[in-house]
Amino acid sequence: MLATRLRSLQALGIFCGFAAGAWLGGAEAPIKLVNPDISPITVSLIMVFGVFLARWSVPALIRGTSHVHSDVSQAPHLIVWAVLAGCMWAVANTLTIYAIRNVGLSIAFPLWNTNSLLGIFWGFLLFNELHYAGWKRWLGVLGGAACMFSGAALLAIASANQAAPGKAAGGILAALGAGILWGTMYIPYRKAYLTGMNPLSFITFFTVGELATMTVLAIAYRGATPLWHELIGAKSVMFWLMLGGFVWVLGDLFQQYATKYVGISRGIPLSNTNQLWGLLWGIFVFHELRGGSHTIYVQVAGGSLLMALGALSIALSSATAREHSSWQDAADREGNRYGIEHEYVRAGMEGRAYGAASTRRTTLDWLLILVTTVMFAILAFIAKLPHMDIVLRWAAALTVAMLALLATCGIALWRTTRFR
Amino acid sequence: MSPSTTDTPRNLLRAIFTDLHFWIPLTVLLGGLVLLDKLR
Repeated sequence: MLATRLRSLQALGIFCGFAAGAWLGGAEAPIKLVNPDISPITVSLIMVFGVFLARWSVPALIRGTSHVHSDVSQAPHLIVWAVLAGCMWAVANTLTIYAIRNVGLSIAFPLWNTNSLLGIFWGFLLFNELHYAGWKRWLGVLGGAACMFSGAALLAIASANQAAPGKAAGGILAALGAGILWGTMYIPYRKAYLTGMNPLSFITFFTVGELATMTVLAIAYRGATPLWHELIGAKSVMFWLMLGGFVWVLGDLFQQYATKYVGISRGIPLSNTNQLWGLLWGIFVFHELRGGSHTIYVQVAGGSLLMALGALSIALSSATAREHSSWQDAADREGNRYGIEHEYVRAGMEGRAYGAASTRRTTLDWLLILVTTVMFAILAFIAKLPHMDIVLRWAAALTVAMLALLATCGIALWRTTRFR
Repeated sequence: MSPSTTDTPRNLLRAIFTDLHFWIPLTVLLGGLVLLDKLR
C-alpha cells in the first residue's frame, strides 16, 4: 500500500473513532428518560428493535444492500462471527442497563470502558497489532489507555454518590461484565475487517444475533404473556428507547470503520471518549452532579482532561508501515485458513473496490428505509416526554455537535473509501 | 493454524471450530449469560 494511502486511512480511522465516541455517548441519553419500573430486559429488547431497524435501513440508505451478497460469497464464515458478536452485544447491553440502574451512568461508564485495555491485549495477541511499532507508539497507546483509565476512575469517584444503596456490587459486576463482553466482541470485528468484509455487510448479520439473543432472553426471563403486556405498557417510551438504539448504531458504525482502519488497540480507546460525551449529557442536560462540592467539580474536570489527553496520545500513535505489514501477515493467515481470495483481502484492507458489485439501491432498500421511517414516525407521535428536569437548550446544542461530526466524518469516509 | 479450504459447509465449520479465536468470545458470552442470570 502506498504510504500516502496508509496515512489517509489511519487519519480516517482516528476521525471515525472520535465520531464513534460522540454517538455512542449520546445513545445512553434517551435511556435516562425511561421510567425505572420497566424491566432492564424489556428495555434492552426494545432498544434492540431500534438497533435492528437501524442496522438494516442505514446500510440500505448509504450503499444499498446488494454488496452484502457479494461480501458473503467471498467470506461466508464471517456470518458465524457476526452472529456471535451480535449475541455478545445483546448480553453486554442488558448488563449495562442493570449497571446504570444500580450505580448510575457516571460510574458504569468508566467501568465498562475498561474494554479498551482488553481490546489492546487481544489486538496484540491475536492480530499482530503494535508489533514492530517502536517504543514511542507503545508508550502512546498504553500510556494513553492508562491515562483514559485513570481519568475514568476519577470521574467514577466524583460521581460515587449516584449509587443506589445496597445495589452497588451488582451494578459494578454488571458494568465490568459488559466491559469484558465488549472488549472480547472486537475479536470477531477484527477478524471480519482483516479479511476484507465491509462493515456495512458485517452489521446486517450481527443484528440477527442481537435480536435473536434478546428475544430468547426476554421470553425466558419475563415469560411471553407478561413480556407482551410490558411492551404494550411501554409504548409511550418505546420511541426513546428505539431512538437510543438507532443513535447507538450510528456510533457503532463509526467504531467499526475505526476498528477496520486503525485496529482494535487504537479504535476502542478512541471510541471510549463516549464517556466524555455521556458526562456532558449527564451534567448539562440531566443535572447529574447538581449541588456537588467544589472537590467533585475539580475531580470531574481533572478526569475529563486525563481522558482527553489519553485519547490525543493514542490518536498521535498511528500505525507505521512496518506495523501495518504485520497486520497484513495476520490478514494473510486468516485468508489462508478460510480460503479467501488474496486480492479481496488486500482490497478490503486498502478500502478500495473489489469486483463489480452493484451499489445501486433496489426496491428492497427503499422499502427498508420507508418501513423504518414510518415506524419511528408512529412511535414519535405516541411518545411522551417524561416529567424530568432536563435542559432542552443543552440537549439541542449537543445534538447539533453530534450531527456536525456525523456529516463531516461521513463525507470523509465517502471521499476516502466510498464507505468500504 | 494450518491453511484449509472452505469450499464446503463442512470444511467451513471445521475451520471455524478449530480456530482458537472462536472459542474465546464464545466462552466470554457464556460467562456473560451466567452473570446476567445471577443479576436478574
